[in-house]
Amino acid sequence: MYNEDQKIAFYFSPELDTAFLQELYGEDLQQAELIFESTMQQLRSELPLVESRFRDGDTAGLKKVVHKIKPLFGYVGLNETMQEFASFEAVCAQAATMAEAESGFHHIIAISLEAIKITENEIRRLKQYNTQ
Amino acid sequence: MKYQSIIVEDLQVAAEFLKRFCEKSGVIDVAHHFLNAEDALLFLKDNVIDLIFLDVEMPDASGFELLDQLVYTPQVILTTSKTEYAYDAFQYNVTDYLKKPFTYQRFLEAVQKVSKKTEQLNGNSEQDHMFIKTDGKLIRLHNDDILFIESMGDYVKFITPAKKYITHNTIKNLETKVNPQVFMKVHRSYIVNFTKINDIQENVLFINGNMIPISKTHKSGVMQKINIL
Repeated sequence: MYNEDQKIAFYFSPELDTAFLQELYGEDLQQAELIFESTMQQLRSELPLVESRFRDGDTAGLKKVVHKIKPLFGYVGLNETMQEFASFEAVCAQAATMAEAESGFHHIIAISLEAIKITENEIRRLKQYNTQ
Repeated sequence: MKYQSIIVEDLQVAAEFLKRFCEKSGVIDVAHHFLNAEDALLFLKDNVIDLIFLDVEMPDASGFELLDQLVYTPQVILTTSKTEYAYDAFQYNVTDYLKKPFTYQRFLEAVQKVSKKTEQLNGNSEQDHMFIKTDGKLIRLHNDDILFIESMGDYVKFITPAKKYITHNTIKNLETKVNPQVFMKVHRSYIVNFTKINDIQENVLFINGNMIPISKTHKSGVMQKINIL
């Protein structure tokens, strides 16, 4: 992707699904920045709910919040993380007790924290590019 | 033509993303974004729009529950992150089904479907008959011969003064295919030819001695449609 005035290329980081991001945003890196930022804000507000539903033993509530968060990762090109959330959502739907979802819960929290780091880094890069 | 739309979506990012696509397309105005079905329903009671971008799984009520309560039938594009609603989508006769996150190209394909369906619906308002498949043959029924249509699960029954015809279809599907100048849905299980209504008492109407319920959500639509002096 190129800045029209200066013709400097922007490449999404290799940790992300770059081909998919190209399809989503095309040349519109301003929109990419906006959506990445909104995604980050929403992740920060929704992830604590995952933890609290888990602590409360509320499997149905946990499934709902996981379902809501899941597509957020897609908007930032973290499609594998989105898939992992989809798998965990299925586990929550089947789980009779929270113990059945425990290992999955720890896994999704770990990958979410990793996703936040990657997304923050990409927001920094996008901002830098868009303001140059 | 510009379509008036609303977005019903509990995920703010998804709604922002979709709004941007609507603006970019130049053919879709987004009148409002609602975070839940209940607020959208309140808006839809007083406002007519052409298109709803509707999330399926939302807190409190699902997108399908919202569709069950609508008095009229705008076009619907489901936006969901699951693929398992295809059967329901068919039952509700939705125009398209977008899996989040979707690309602009995919969004444009959905808009084209909206456009095609609009043309089809406009054509319906001039139709004075329909063909139904029953007993292994296609039978022409004139609008004027049909008193009402009743749901029987996956089948519907066309009631005429002389005969009843049963065919494989749903009220939801027929709702968008019958001539809206003659027929209207008055209950999730009934579409009536409103030129045939003999009288209305509280929440029921009568056609040729048949008593047909009017649901709460359809009552105001019925009262607007009939000519009260």
